[in-house]
Amino acid sequence: MTTLQHEMIRSELEEVVGKEYISTRESDRLVYATDWFWLPQMWLDRGAQPTLPDFIVHPGTAVEIAEILKIANTYRIPVVPWGGGSGSQGGAAPVFGGIMLDVKRLNRILEIDETSLTVTAEAGINGSVLEWALNEKGLTLPHYAASANCATLGGYLAPRGSGTISTKYGKAEDMVLNMQIVLPTGEIIRTPIVPDHAGGPDYFHLFLGSEGTFGVITEATMQVDYLPAARLLRAVLFQNLGHALGAGRQLMTRRLSPFVIRLYDPASTATQVKKVLGYEMDGAYMVMGFDGDPDIAALQEQKSLEICLALGGQDLGREPGEKWWDHRYHFYYPPNGLHFPWMYGTTETVTTFDKLEKLYWAQKRAVEETYADWNVNYIGHFSHWFHWGASLYSRFIIPEPPQEAEEAIRLHNRIWNTAITAVLENGGMINEHHGVGLKLSRFMRRQYGPAWPMLERIKKTLDPNGIMNPGKVGF
Amino acid sequence: MLDNVISTLENCRFCLMCRHVAPVGMVTNQEAYTPHGMALLVTSQQRGLATWNAETVGIVFSEVDGGNSRTHCATDQPFEEALAAVRAELVVQGLAGTAVTQLHTHLTQWHNPYQPQLPQSATGAGQVALFAGDEAAYLWPETIPAVLKLLSAVGMEVVVGGYGRNNGLFAHSAGFPDLAAQLWQATLDELASVGAKQLLLLSAGDFYAFNDRRGGFSRPVSASAKVSPPDFIEVTDLLAERLAAGEIAFRKTEDETPWTYVDPTHAVRVPERHERVRGLVTAVMPTPPRELFWRKERAQPVGSTYIQFSSPALAERLTRARLQDAQASGAQLLICEDPATLHHLNRYAGEYGLRVQGLYELLAQRVIGHQ
Ligand SMILES: Cc1cc2nc3c(=O)[nH]c(=O)nc-3n(C[C@H](O)[C@H](O)[C@H](O)COP(=O)(O)OP(=O)(O)OC[C@H]3O[C@@H](n4cnc5c(N)ncnc54)[C@H](O)[C@@H]3O)c2cc1C
Repeated sequence: MTTLQHEMIRSELEEVVGKEYISTRESDRLVYATDWFWLPQMWLDRGAQPTLPDFIVHPGTAVEIAEILKIANTYRIPVVPWGGGSGSQGGAAPVFGGIMLDVKRLNRILEIDETSLTVTAEAGINGSVLEWALNEKGLTLPHYAASANCATLGGYLAPRGSGTISTKYGKAEDMVLNMQIVLPTGEIIRTPIVPDHAGGPDYFHLFLGSEGTFGVITEATMQVDYLPAARLLRAVLFQNLGHALGAGRQLMTRRLSPFVIRLYDPASTATQVKKVLGYEMDGAYMVMGFDGDPDIAALQEQKSLEICLALGGQDLGREPGEKWWDHRYHFYYPPNGLHFPWMYGTTETVTTFDKLEKLYWAQKRAVEETYADWNVNYIGHFSHWFHWGASLYSRFIIPEPPQEAEEAIRLHNRIWNTAITAVLENGGMINEHHGVGLKLSRFMRRQYGPAWPMLERIKKTLDPNGIMNPGKVGF
Repeated sequence: MLDNVISTLENCRFCLMCRHVAPVGMVTNQEAYTPHGMALLVTSQQRGLATWNAETVGIVFSEVDGGNSRTHCATDQPFEEALAAVRAELVVQGLAGTAVTQLHTHLTQWHNPYQPQLPQSATGAGQVALFAGDEAAYLWPETIPAVLKLLSAVGMEVVVGGYGRNNGLFAHSAGFPDLAAQLWQATLDELASVGAKQLLLLSAGDFYAFNDRRGGFSRPVSASAKVSPPDFIEVTDLLAERLAAGEIAFRKTEDETPWTYVDPTHAVRVPERHERVRGLVTAVMPTPPRELFWRKERAQPVGSTYIQFSSPALAERLTRARLQDAQASGAQLLICEDPATLHHLNRYAGEYGLRVQGLYELLAQRVIGHQ
């Protein structure tokens, strides 16, 4: 971009949002250069400059966003929506520079409807702030992401996130009734008032998972719940991972309504559970939780425990379950979480019960055997459960990766190739809840096969100049 | 110099988990004004990816003092210490900027940032002293007579000390640890000279400065200290205790204006106070409060910290955010005991149709007396 172009774009943006809401400061450009994706973080860590955004813009309304997108179309420059920047897939990384569109000024709660149990809020609202506001009325948005303190409502929806209690309450996308969206060409639309209807085709879900490539989410109406009267947690230890998975499957298929089933594989039981909770155990540590009416929750717990015991589980009682609940997010924060100088990646996936265990072993074997020379650690847990299957939240960690940044990138990408190939060959999806972003963009064609050109045509129709978040989600 | 804090900064760089409470980050919605943003900036500077210049240094001096983030930290990182150390390093390198340097000069010469006037020394002797400080002296002077009346109502005669002297927090936050320690020590020395064993404090900020920072702001208490650090107690705590014990009582006002209690700057650092101080306010107010959204453990500061000197515009935004919160609650009367919080709220309250009331004065007007 020439200085003249830069100044012309800047002056036009200033006319839309005002001078104080645009930044080209060195510090801001650096801080907005990367989200939680290991690759650009590593680049920074090694003292190399990642691609910086040219402008950081803080619009205050959907109308302003529409105007910004029109400017971006005129100059054919990229626009990257940024919520909290906590995504781990590089979805908010400005790989081609351009406008970083920080939506956090759109942070108002517009309505809490205590009859229908819905909340309508602007998309930039912080997850924990929204939750506090709902809690004041005895309500909760049951999307308990470990990143709620920093993530935004739009950031929950755009990559189709899942929170800790998704097993009962669903993914973020299951909670949304309707959204206001600014299309890449600048039109502001509102999707139908409810998602479940027979009033024509469902274009609404097209925007969930589009990660800013089809437009900018500016408002959403979400289903909320009453805060539960009781939350019962319990831990069970299995010596056999297959039996533990079988227990989880039965809890789900018999609709015993656990709000959480968190099953750690033996490797993460020995490392993660020990580090965060202080328990030294051999086997697969499983936490299950039941909530709502205390009597019903207790009965569900009792029936579930019977299933676990019948499959060889050892009841550890409530305390280890409650301790897990209290520390459930600590697994992800420093110093317990992933950190440099490690190389790491969360290769999480989802599939049906019939394929789940096979997929786990296939991915584990592929990663561990191929990268044994790098002392790779492969750990996993099964966290978001459905009536038909569950997600495998797996991770690779290389404690001592190559020092040279370029070599590190190559190794990183090779491991991802291995992990995702194992997923695709065993009937899994390339991702369950972190989204595609930049990281998995190159696998989209393989994932979708002959359906991919159709998605490309949709993208071309919605975003003819390709300004929205280029390089992401395969586009 | 940063060796001791670098691991904290590396951790904060990779963590965003206090964004929901980081005061300046919240009012600006800018990533750079969060502990994550600042830590990323500092660690990037160390890697040669950023340079120190007016803009980047300005960012580092634009966070309040890391107190809210520290209180809510998911993994207990001492971010406030790390931030103070970075600022101290920038000061040593002569990069801190004019506003910070001027603050240093004023604090060094006058022991307060507000007035070209030296603190008044304590006179008399006694077991209990009241630290008047600079904020009550210069920002909300009605505080001292009201507090003395209340203390007298519970049968306490106190020596007033530190009148016009800063508690050391400004100097600490702005990167002058030695000056912070000197100011802190001067108060302790003054106490020793009057024979006081207990120090009464007017605000959460003073309590934090004296009680939680007993080490004297990273420096051991000087060997010349003639007393071991005394007991520190907030006046509101003392009055709440006496109220509970039936040793003091208040007549309720007839004023039915919708009201709220504003947790003052630094209140998040002293969680035990939240309910106690509310107990005092409800003893005089005839109606239940309208609670603010940003209250108690999620209380946010007004622009009363040293940021009022380094970034006055940001300080104003912090204060206005509290007034907007109050307005949204439906309250028309804002009650608080902290002189600095009162002063800052009062600057703009009229624009929001709000009135500000000092809690100590209100209690002093309604006190029934020594039972
Ligand atoms: C410690 C930690 C724990 C995490 N735990 C979880 C978890 O439990 N569950 C989970 O699902 N994820 C988790 N994540 C991943 C991440 O936090 C989530 O994906 C989160 O929902 C992203 O929200 P954000 O506001 O930070 O989005 P960003 O990272 O800013 O953006 C994510 C993507 O969405 C796009 N986007 C953002 N806002 C909008 C908008 N308004 N309109 C259109 N596109 C938009 C961006 O362009 C980008 O492609 C975790 C991350 C961290 C760092």
